Amino acid sequence: MLTYFKLAWRNIWRNRRRTLITVSAIVFAVIAAVFMQSMNRGSHEMMLDNMVRFSTGYVQLQDYRYDDESSLDNSFYYDSSVRDRVLDADPNIDMILPRIETFMLAANGAATRGSILLGIDPEKEHRFNELENRLSKGRFIERDDAAVMLGEGLAERLQLTVGDTLVLIGRGRFGMSASGLYEIAGIVEFPIRDLNNQVVLLPLPEAQYLLSADDYITSLLIAPRSDRHTGSVAQSLNEAFADEELVAYTWAELLPELLELFEFDLAVPRLLTVVLYIVIGFGFFGTILTMTLERLREFGVLLSVGMKRGKLALVVFLETLFISIIGVLTGVVASWLIIYYFHRNPVELTGDAAQAVVDMGWDPILPMSFAADQFYTQGFFVFAIAMIVFLFPLLKIVKLNILEAARS
Amino acid sequence: MALVRTENLSKVYNPDTVPVHALRDVSVTIEPGEFTSIVGPSGSGKTTLLNMIGGLDKPSSGKVFINGTDITGMKDSKLIDFRLRNIGFVFQHYNLIPVFTARENISFIMLLQNRDKKEMLSRADELLDKVGLGDRKDARPKEMSGGQQQRVAVARALASEPKFILADEPTANLDSSSAMNLLDIMSRMNKEQNVTFVFSTHDQRVIDRARRVITMVDGAVDSDERRENGNDNEKE
Repeated sequence: MLTYFKLAWRNIWRNRRRTLITVSAIVFAVIAAVFMQSMNRGSHEMMLDNMVRFSTGYVQLQDYRYDDESSLDNSFYYDSSVRDRVLDADPNIDMILPRIETFMLAANGAATRGSILLGIDPEKEHRFNELENRLSKGRFIERDDAAVMLGEGLAERLQLTVGDTLVLIGRGRFGMSASGLYEIAGIVEFPIRDLNNQVVLLPLPEAQYLLSADDYITSLLIAPRSDRHTGSVAQSLNEAFADEELVAYTWAELLPELLELFEFDLAVPRLLTVVLYIVIGFGFFGTILTMTLERLREFGVLLSVGMKRGKLALVVFLETLFISIIGVLTGVVASWLIIYYFHRNPVELTGDAAQAVVDMGWDPILPMSFAADQFYTQGFFVFAIAMIVFLFPLLKIVKLNILEAARS
Repeated sequence: MALVRTENLSKVYNPDTVPVHALRDVSVTIEPGEFTSIVGPSGSGKTTLLNMIGGLDKPSSGKVFINGTDITGMKDSKLIDFRLRNIGFVFQHYNLIPVFTARENISFIMLLQNRDKKEMLSRADELLDKVGLGDRKDARPKEMSGGQQQRVAVARALASEPKFILADEPTANLDSSSAMNLLDIMSRMNKEQNVTFVFSTHDQRVIDRARRVITMVDGAVDSDERRENGNDNEKE
């Protein structure tokens, strides 16, 4: 067997330039495929990360009726014993964030806007989503404050700024009237446009007091130690609270429309990737075709002297394998380095493109995904293409007429 | 028992369009130890006959027996194995594996026979010594002259210990001195080890050495001449 490996290895270096060109083509194909996917996934990951961190959490525990009717009447009792049971449900739970959320009218004089009131634990929120870093004006609220932070968009619409007073009017738990005046402690720039234009953040105890919902929350956000534990944590919680009226949802269950959007958004890049694969396939096929046709005479001689077709096919297969492996591995390493660089140092957008992205509430950068699977899946696809291309010399060898080959 | 026997061998190319009769009813017998040249003008059928005997081509009619075994109806995979164990080939263009050294080229044939590695290497060395290339074991084909490559090809043909060797125009690409040297080696092997050689050739030097000359004309055997002192012309 070693001799066949040796023969195949030496054969690929018979025409060093051609081999290097083929390997380079594979390397660039892998880099291009990974880069394209990384760019698409990077923006999706950023969107998803923002949504998860600022909106749903990776897992969310709710009253089972809350998903259908997001009302304070469907909030649930939350105290230290519930907290302890949640934390004990799964060892992979890293952090929990209680929130109370309802719709209220936010007003300044004659100006009124619909808003989302979020009662939060400021310190925990910051640990989860670095909220304090998003503060554009003023100070960050503390747990005992009776002050609010506003989304930048909402503040602009109501023409309010730090130090002004915000009027909140709405309905508390079980129809109780809820209204209050709050000093604006800070303005927050959210990375999600809807939140930026609607959110009013109030410390949880104050929000519960305002809404006549002491010790009640509408959702408990749960952060697993790693996002790969999302499903198992949700399952553990559902098992732990199976006999109660609480249910745990993953972000994917809470944001199905976002997943659909991603799928839709990936259609064009996928088509481009297929085109790229076809180009790669034909490029590789061209090389293998030339290599095969050039060596028909040699194949004929080897069969004449007693080499079985299977063994000959094995040698040619090994040649294809070596070229593919060298190309794919080099491509994966090169793309890993390139993507790593751009992941750590994302390209900063400028001009209209940057403004468009900022208007959507995102940072003006071109985020790159560094997910491990994109390296090996793209590498695998390119490798699979190489193996499909190998079918041509295989077929040639199987059907080779020794005399015709010897005359070629 | 004859080593090679053909019975009424015929080969027609393009039978349905423009038939070309490459062989017409050829019946020849080759005994062990012969040093035979098949000669004739281009298109006379000598290479076709050699291909039939080597199992590289199928006749339109007739049979080929090697050591009593009819190879005309043999399946491709069986025939490849049969060739490996019974027939050695020497080609006009040497056809060595370019990426292998002389020693590896010879060992490779034995590898195909699944022989022991030690045995392969010692036999390869022995054969290289016999063809006078003991000092060129690690040279690759491109580092050798045409004559040296053809000597390696002869050693390779002998490596599998075949019943006979078919050599298609073995001296056609060699200069005079290399050709004579190669012929010396082959005739010595024939005399000393009783190796059977069958040549297809135009080369008068090969014809002069042959102890039997089969002349082909228009696909048929025109004459079959046996000589007493063929390869005794060796320069020694």
